[in-house]
Amino acid sequence: MDRRTLLKGTAAIAGAAALPSVPAQAQGAPDKLRFGYAITMSGPLGPGAESTVVSQYKLWHKRVNDAGGIMLKKFNKKVPVDMVSYDDQGKPDELIKLTERLIQQDKVDIVLSPYATHMNLASAPITNKYQYPVVYSTATTTKTYDLAKKLPYAFWQIVQPNEATAPLANYLASLKKDGKIKGTVAIVHPTVEYGVEMHEAFLNAAKKAGLEVVFSKSYPFGAADLQPVIREAAATNPDAFVAMSYPPDTFMFTEQAQIIGFNPQVMYVAIGGVFPTYKGKFGDKVNGILAYGGQDTNVEGYAEYDKAHRAMHNRPSEAGALSAYSGIEVVQQAIERVGEIDRPKIRDEIAKGKFKTIWGELSYVDQRCASPWAIGQWQNGEMVGVFPADKAGAKPVQFPKPKWS
Amino acid sequence: MILFEVFLNGLLLGGMYGLIALGLNLQYGVARILNLSYGEFFVGGAFTAFFTIMLWQFNPMLSLFISMPIAFAASWLIYQVLMMPLIRRAPDQDALDADVVLVTFGLFFVFQGLALVYWSGDLRGYSFLARPVHIFGATIAMNRLLAFSGACLIALTLFGVLRYTRFGAALRAITIDPVAASLVGIDVRKYSAIAFAVGGALAASAGMLVSTFISFSATDGVVYTLKALIVVIMAGVGRVTGTLAAGLLLGVVESLGGYLIDPALTIAINFGLFMLILLIRPTGLFTRA
Repeated sequence: MDRRTLLKGTAAIAGAAALPSVPAQAQGAPDKLRFGYAITMSGPLGPGAESTVVSQYKLWHKRVNDAGGIMLKKFNKKVPVDMVSYDDQGKPDELIKLTERLIQQDKVDIVLSPYATHMNLASAPITNKYQYPVVYSTATTTKTYDLAKKLPYAFWQIVQPNEATAPLANYLASLKKDGKIKGTVAIVHPTVEYGVEMHEAFLNAAKKAGLEVVFSKSYPFGAADLQPVIREAAATNPDAFVAMSYPPDTFMFTEQAQIIGFNPQVMYVAIGGVFPTYKGKFGDKVNGILAYGGQDTNVEGYAEYDKAHRAMHNRPSEAGALSAYSGIEVVQQAIERVGEIDRPKIRDEIAKGKFKTIWGELSYVDQRCASPWAIGQWQNGEMVGVFPADKAGAKPVQFPKPKWS
Repeated sequence: MILFEVFLNGLLLGGMYGLIALGLNLQYGVARILNLSYGEFFVGGAFTAFFTIMLWQFNPMLSLFISMPIAFAASWLIYQVLMMPLIRRAPDQDALDADVVLVTFGLFFVFQGLALVYWSGDLRGYSFLARPVHIFGATIAMNRLLAFSGACLIALTLFGVLRYTRFGAALRAITIDPVAASLVGIDVRKYSAIAFAVGGALAASAGMLVSTFISFSATDGVVYTLKALIVVIMAGVGRVTGTLAAGLLLGVVESLGGYLIDPALTIAINFGLFMLILLIRPTGLFTRA
């Protein structure tokens, strides 16, 4: 790893233009900043947490310290970051205990987001109680529409159910209007909060858009075989197959659709569809598949990030991980603008500021990210953002999805 | 027609359940060790297959030549080094069970920790024989058929060895009564160690076969230990062909139930069947009274 490029990259991302520190002014500055997080490392959600979040925290931690740390302009000094982490084992009560521990015993300066919607929701009231601003990077739930006032210290980074599903419904409606499809949709979801809420949001959007839902069923998270479900869905011969799935089911649906020769013209999978492993497993067959999330790899600073990511984790990054990485970039930039660890001020800065990140320029309205990527598509072996269509860097959707063979 | 396909699917799924459980039943039935780190050997087999195809670009089935001997040797060592002291000092089987559960639970954490450090917690998957096969007009996946055939082959081989060889007779004697077996001159320690080691190797082979169609990660071991345990308890401890049959039953009921009632209920149906069997035949479906 070339340390100089790393330095430059981080400096460019952080927008830090400050000069090296002057010892005389550094008095009273902390020796270290402490960041901490509790996250799921073991259990069914462990792999997703690793790929989407933990890998990003580790990478950010290395890059920020390679660059000398976070600039605190009040002391005119760069301060390196210490990282504390715990395994919540996928249990919300464990997460709550550990979050309290981070704040009260470990006395961390900043708490970082855990992984998965219900875990984000479990953590937010705690961090809010202690007035710790947190950019929650992996929660998609209709609850966030009411949470802004109740939890002023919680920020919601990724796309929420209505914004995540409406573009898909509207896109299908436009295809129907152009006479390219009849407008029939088969939809499936696992019986977990994310799946249920995305399912409901899509049904509402589909109804508004005038689509015909010909098949709608749920399945338990962790099912070992989904062929009966997908076979039934295929029997209704829908134009579009929409799976509000979690990673293991995303993989299984994609494989079993190929095996039974199910070729919908539009196919959407939710979480896991943007993973590099997904492309690793299916190769060029991923082309045309729509997935939850999205990215624009031409954003400034992305190339350096990608290079550092490959060097550290020996694989390319996934689009979903950018929300976690950019979330911590936002916090870093807010700290640097405030110039010290003053959490209420940092909170206000996040709420009103604009931040240049590897996930594009971000700002927050009612503490929700203003226009995060909603849907991406695999095009020529690359994951690109397609919705919101008016977002900088969005590519036109390719239709129809090529047949499997 | 769809019903037939669903039934066939259930058979394949059940074959997978049986496959996962065969090794554990050997370990628990013959060696009397309830190995809670069983699933880690399964995961080891899956990862070896993954690296064989993705890193070295060979047929993942070749990975069996690596993973099975390693799993065999590691299990043998675990039995000789870690389990023997427990067996020696245990006054009875209940006390031994308690000790063994604690130690193998600890082993599970050690193996999972090592796997997380070296292989990370990422989700893994690869494509192998993801092709349709047509049987009597029904479409099934070739990789699942392969796992099913593997399960049948292993079950038949085990059955043959247990039934028709001197070695197998010794193992059966140990299963029925280890004390009596030692009285008639069977080296219980040696045979139990071998049975335990073969169980570990079978776990690795199951991991390879299942990894061809289910994505997995370093922390998945416990999921498969639990699944295997359910099948073993359903079948009855020490019953080899019974294990496969119990697995098939579980798979078919799950598949048909999911199709005829609701796919959301598959796991509930699974455990419902398990509870029913526990209530009616607590010693297992295939044990002689």
